[in-house]
Amino acid sequence: MPARPGHRRLLLDAAAGVLLVSVVCTLFWWVFAHLDKGLEWGRVWNYRKLLTDGWLLTLAVSAGALPGSCLVAALLIAGSRSRLSSLRWFTRGFVEIMRGMPLLSLILIGYFVFFAQDSFRAFLNSMGLGSKLFAGIALLSVFTAAYLSEILRGGLDSIPQGQLDSARAVGFDRPQILRYVILPQALRRVLPALAGQFVTLVKDSSLLNIIGIQEFTYQSRAYNSATYGGIEAFLMLALGYLLITLPIAGFAHWMENRFRYQM
Amino acid sequence: MEIHAASLTKNYGTLAALDALDLHVGDAHVLALIGPSGGGKSTLLRVIGGLEEADSGTFTVNGVQPGNKSTALAWRRRNGFLFQQFNLFPHLTAHRNVTLPLEKVHGHSPADAVRIADECLDRFGLAGHTHKLPAQLSGGQQQRVGLARAIAAKPEILILDEPTSALDPEMTAEVLELIGELAAAGQHIILSTHEMGFARAVADHVALIAAGKVTEHGPAAHVLDHPGEELTRRFLSKVMKFGLPGPAAP
Repeated sequence: MPARPGHRRLLLDAAAGVLLVSVVCTLFWWVFAHLDKGLEWGRVWNYRKLLTDGWLLTLAVSAGALPGSCLVAALLIAGSRSRLSSLRWFTRGFVEIMRGMPLLSLILIGYFVFFAQDSFRAFLNSMGLGSKLFAGIALLSVFTAAYLSEILRGGLDSIPQGQLDSARAVGFDRPQILRYVILPQALRRVLPALAGQFVTLVKDSSLLNIIGIQEFTYQSRAYNSATYGGIEAFLMLALGYLLITLPIAGFAHWMENRFRYQM
Repeated sequence: MEIHAASLTKNYGTLAALDALDLHVGDAHVLALIGPSGGGKSTLLRVIGGLEEADSGTFTVNGVQPGNKSTALAWRRRNGFLFQQFNLFPHLTAHRNVTLPLEKVHGHSPADAVRIADECLDRFGLAGHTHKLPAQLSGGQQQRVGLARAIAAKPEILILDEPTSALDPEMTAEVLELIGELAAAGQHIILSTHEMGFARAVADHVALIAAGKVTEHGPAAHVLDHPGEELTRRFLSKVMKFGLPGPAAP
């Protein structure tokens, strides 16, 4: 019996999948087999506490900066839609400066200039927020918020005027229009870009090691120093970040399908 | 319903969509606005519906000034508005498009809203389509959902802006039929349309609007059959040029 076209496609698909996986595996095996220094996973086990602590701190920084960046982004959007043109220009300028500047310089300037001010520090201390960790989360939030606000602004602007008319015609007031009509559609449209930005946020948190926050990258470097350069730490590093970023991407894909409304 | 507009003006940039428009209708049941595209019909309907505020002039519908900022929201809640391009909420099912305003605007309980929505959608022959998204419906079905949404809260006046202009002849007929039924059941309607046959059959009052002014208005039969103005005659002869006027209403 000749295979039906559907079956043939399935077979071809499976064969291509096996081939791709084998090629990638072979490549990796070949690369790692020819390393000058071998991989010593026993050392990783010995330093497991250090690495786990770093990973947990990366998770904590990300978990803090994610809502933090959303909050700042909401403020930036409110500013960009203000009736006062001065406020709109200020927001515009702020967003462009944040987006035009390397995160590294923001972290250094932010931490060693702004967070180093005695009065500011005293103020934060009085609120129990004087830690280095808070400074890191705040700086990362502000930086990410500039990107988020632009993504969200694009989404809000993409909703056709007809939807606004329709929402007003059925009698919704302004908060209801935003909540029931604009936001659900805008968020669905920008979901892929939002997820990308959150993934970037997690990876960007690695730069906080330069102000001494002992997150995952910091601890991996500490491991390297202590063990005189174990390559396995870099593999752990990649794996550790993927453990956080892949679920974010997966969740975003699930949301996209769950809230799909255009056929 | 009673409509009074005096020197009503609305500008979009340098374009005068309504140019000192005057219209006084003492008692109309169904008012049809006809006239060339770009003449100001839609703008007038948006002002009547409280979606747009006139730049100057006075305007009242049944004694209420709809465009006034403080009263516009309450006014919009009292009336129904249907758009040419359907404008259903694409992320909500047909059913939810109807129930959401009932719950959030008109304060019905969810159970009540569901009951009313079922009734309206049933009445418009959409019983089998209530849980579809707008993108899964034909244009005619979408416009019927729009109509169901517009009448669900029992509007004082139903305002229809070229409700069939985006539909093919068959769908046009099915939507016009429903509008005819609503009119026959006593619903007050103000609509703009290019379907002259429908206007003649359903409207008791017709106004021709061109260049932001009312060129002629009066009882439908009078304006459509014995137009007094040269402009009306020219417009009607143009739209009737290719044979039959639009589909007749029931």
